[in-house]
Amino acid sequence: MTGGNGTFNGSGEYAIRLSGLTKYFGSQLIFENLSLDVRRGEILAIAGGSGQGKSVLLRTVLGLLPFESGTIEVLGKNLARLSGAERTGIERRWGVLFQDGALFSSLTVLQNVQVPMREHLTLPQKTMDDLARLKIAMVGLPASAASKYPSELSGGMRKRAGLARALALDPDIVFLDEPTSGLDPIGAAAFDRLIRNLQQTLGLTVYMITHDLDSIFAVCDRVAVLADKRIVREGAPKDLVRDPGHPWVREYFCGERARLIEKAL
Amino acid sequence: MLNLDTTQEYQPGCRIAGEGPSARIAISGAWTLAVLEDAHRALQGIGEFPGGHEIDLAGLLHLDTAGALALVSLRNTAGGAAQFVNVRTEHRILLDEVTRAASALGEVAPRSQPLRDFLKQFASILTSIGRDAIALTMFLGETAAALGRVMANPAKFRGTAFVRQIQATGLSAVPIVALVCVLLGGVILQQAARQLRYFGAEALSIDMLGILTLREIGVMLAAVMVAGRSASAFTAQIGTMKMREEIDAMRTLGIDPIETLVLPRILALIVALPLLVFIADMMCLAGGAAMAKLYLSLDLPVYLQRLNAAITAKHFYVGLIKAPFVALVIGLVGCLEGMRAEGSAESVGKQVTAAVVKAIFLVLVLDGVFAIFLSASGF
Repeated sequence: MTGGNGTFNGSGEYAIRLSGLTKYFGSQLIFENLSLDVRRGEILAIAGGSGQGKSVLLRTVLGLLPFESGTIEVLGKNLARLSGAERTGIERRWGVLFQDGALFSSLTVLQNVQVPMREHLTLPQKTMDDLARLKIAMVGLPASAASKYPSELSGGMRKRAGLARALALDPDIVFLDEPTSGLDPIGAAAFDRLIRNLQQTLGLTVYMITHDLDSIFAVCDRVAVLADKRIVREGAPKDLVRDPGHPWVREYFCGERARLIEKAL
Repeated sequence: MLNLDTTQEYQPGCRIAGEGPSARIAISGAWTLAVLEDAHRALQGIGEFPGGHEIDLAGLLHLDTAGALALVSLRNTAGGAAQFVNVRTEHRILLDEVTRAASALGEVAPRSQPLRDFLKQFASILTSIGRDAIALTMFLGETAAALGRVMANPAKFRGTAFVRQIQATGLSAVPIVALVCVLLGGVILQQAARQLRYFGAEALSIDMLGILTLREIGVMLAAVMVAGRSASAFTAQIGTMKMREEIDAMRTLGIDPIETLVLPRILALIVALPLLVFIADMMCLAGGAAMAKLYLSLDLPVYLQRLNAAITAKHFYVGLIKAPFVALVIGLVGCLEGMRAEGSAESVGKQVTAAVVKAIFLVLVLDGVFAIFLSASGF
């Protein structure tokens, strides 16, 4: 068991390793022999067109969807071979931010952030309150948001609250599903900064699904592009712009919108 | 996974090193969420100490937010001049960030006060009853205005929706209304006969069933069933549309949701409920006939003869005249609660519950008003 920074234990260069992953929905092939490595302490963006299976891949890694063959290793553990207790141990070390936060609607923000603490630890209420309010402050929400219900928050605030819940146990890995979608450009840029800050502060590994070219260039160390049922390209955003190597990647990084961003930069 | 936390080296520690002015608080081991309790115990172990000491983090191996919060609050309680020394770079960022965030923490919300909360809740219930009455009246007005517009321009009337709603609220409700009424008609006759037997007036139970059914039971049973079935359905349908912004979309397209959604439903209910009341009346009397045969050994012709002597068309009309008004109330409440739904699925669920409770309550109130009015005017 651990909280803490990635170096604490469970050493190894990679936080997540997918190899030879094959998945079907019925008779429809979704992933064929897909491989992907996520290094410790990096921010990796998963890009790809709509319907290419970015969210399905995330759900598969999280164990919410079954897969046919291949292996998924998280923090050096093969997820398929874990006992219930070991799996809980892994779940404690990752945090997930779903697209709209997926906050529990009948709980306040403070209670939402405390859910993982209640589930996995026995802490005095006072400690949980302090910790939860600290996390809420760290994700940049005002203190008054703690006692509000999710329905009383704006979309951006819900995402921040969802992130606070994902960070409740000081995880090693954070999964973000389109963290900046539905936010205005200023809110999205602020969220990018927040992710970068928290990543540096807490030594997180970040696995992030995104469409947003701005956030890819602003915060991501590497990009992996999902197309044709596998990861077709991965590398630093700059390298992918220089050498796309796949039609979709070229269209994405060198198309009209990307050029506008580059010009602006 | 190696369970490092329990080994000696990683045990969170805290002691006072040195003497006099050079004394400092030495922190050691891992200060993380998993061993937070041990860390708190270690902190209590050093007890009171004079302020202004340095906090030496040279022995600190691992740190997360929970540990950082404990250390930051230790520094804050140790007095103004206390500061961290020998901090590793990777810990420095986290400590700074936690210091910044901790200073932004607001006050703990005041604890609840039972009596004040109870009075507040009571007051809010009273005001919400008042608001409901106003809202319902306004909604009645809006609906009447929409009806006026549609009557002025009959092409606007949503005929298909109207017929569909008659089917959904009327025809589909026939089996359950009929079943409930047969059973209840039988029960009323049997209970009445049992009590009247002491007076040797068993046959009067048929009079009682006839009058009771036509004036009250038929219309009330049908109304309660419809309030349960249709008011909830209206709220759920309209509430879901409201939740998905479909109502707003209609308004921007120049479609009046009252004309399109509310009016067909209410008019359909006003047509369907009197028909259901007729079926309910007949089924209650049929249930009574069956029970009269089983329990009192009275054949059907005798039963009908007795019934014919007891009831008049007046009783039937007294029941039936209530039906359209009751239907109006049920429809209005169902649609209004749907319109009040907000952004979440949870809110739709709440509104459905509110709609059924309010509809049944108002049906009973309305029945009481009619009873007073009709008896005062000699029916």
